[in-house]
Amino acid sequence: MPVRHGLLTLLSRGPRHGYQLRVEFEASTGATWPLNIGQVYTTLSRLERDGLVKPGESDEQGRVVYTITAAGREEMVRWFSTPVIHSDRPRDELVIKLAMAVAAKKVDVAEVIHKQRTATMRALQQLTRAKRAATEGAAQRLVLDSMIFQAEAEQRWLDHCEAVLKEER
Amino acid sequence: MTFVRLAEVARVHGEGATAVHALKGVSLEVDVGELVAVMGPSGSGKSTLLNLAGGLDRPTSGTVHIGEQDLATMRDLAALRRRSVGFVFQDLNLITSLTAAENVMLPRELDGLRSSLARKEAMAVLAEIDAEYLADRFPDELSGGQRQRVAIARALVGERRLLLADEPTGALDTRTGDEILQTLRARSDAGAAVLLVTHEPRYAAWADRVVFLRDGMITDTTDTSLVSAP
Ligand SMILES: Nc1ncnc2c1ncn2[C@@H]1O[C@H](COP(=O)(O)OP(=O)(O)O)[C@@H](O)[C@H]1O
Ligand SMILES: [Mg+2]
Repeated sequence: MPVRHGLLTLLSRGPRHGYQLRVEFEASTGATWPLNIGQVYTTLSRLERDGLVKPGESDEQGRVVYTITAAGREEMVRWFSTPVIHSDRPRDELVIKLAMAVAAKKVDVAEVIHKQRTATMRALQQLTRAKRAATEGAAQRLVLDSMIFQAEAEQRWLDHCEAVLKEER
Repeated sequence: MTFVRLAEVARVHGEGATAVHALKGVSLEVDVGELVAVMGPSGSGKSTLLNLAGGLDRPTSGTVHIGEQDLATMRDLAALRRRSVGFVFQDLNLITSLTAAENVMLPRELDGLRSSLARKEAMAVLAEIDAEYLADRFPDELSGGQRQRVAIARALVGERRLLLADEPTGALDTRTGDEILQTLRARSDAGAAVLLVTHEPRYAAWADRVVFLRDGMITDTTDTSLVSAP
């Protein structure tokens, strides 16, 4: 669970309250993963239940400050030392759409590819603009880079589909 | 304001049975301050398009304008190219016996500029792309990315308002490639018309507009309104 481990990592830098965690989480992911404050508190109470964080006193504004526990630090280390496996990632609508377009025979596949390629390029242009405007440091830019690489992979795959289908005809 | 205009441009290489229709009626405009990227697979006509836009090659039919000038009616194309057009190619062809600064000065000296003035301009353009510190190094003392930035400086020197770049990121790693695009982007933001040819989506995405070329024809551009399926 990336939110859970993200919060643990932020807490490893020192005690923080929920609102602070939310702000820091969003800043370091370039606001690409918005969190609502309810999500933050739900996650914190689960972390507390599992003994990974513990609540301290409230500050002058009544906000509870959380501290990471030794078990929490161990869990964070385990997270960073385990690679992410994408085996159960959700199926991609575009892949299914193209496969169906090819199977259906009556659909103009080239047209589906053209439309998608232009749309994906627009998305890529937007991401690139966001990256140029990014001011919150390397973490934010790298998150945007990740989306840029993904959009680029989709674009390449579309080119590949076009070339292969052209040969088939 | 349009700076380069290609209207219904066709280019046939060779004749008869072996004729290659590299471009088949392409119309494209690049405005002052605009960065346009042309994407397409190898053989789709990208380099041909760029060479026509810069007056390195002439169309079989159709017209090319740079500024107000119709290139077909220009007597001294070479002079126009030197004054107004900067080219950046994948193979950088920097002169190995000259320093970076001297390489950048060269086109201005060929224009008849005094050495001291040419040097001043070269240093200014190197500074603009944060490459001043490379000025006194020779090409074989530079990394691939640094060499490419010097080549870009050379293409920029002397107020050239049209910049044509053919796969300028070549085999560079993506971080260095991003730096090259940063430079081209800054130049277009400063008022140059920039036409970039690339087959890499990540670099095309820096452009204001992306044009897709297939078999010598423009099949799509990102500025036409497109109703995408939900
Ligand atoms: N000088 C030339 N003589 C003959 N054919 C050429 C010449 N230049 C390019 N072509 C052909 O024109 C087509 C387009 O080439 P080019 O513009 O270099 O494409 P790209 O840059 O997209 O790879 C290709 O089929 C290529 O072989
Ligand atoms: Mg080419």
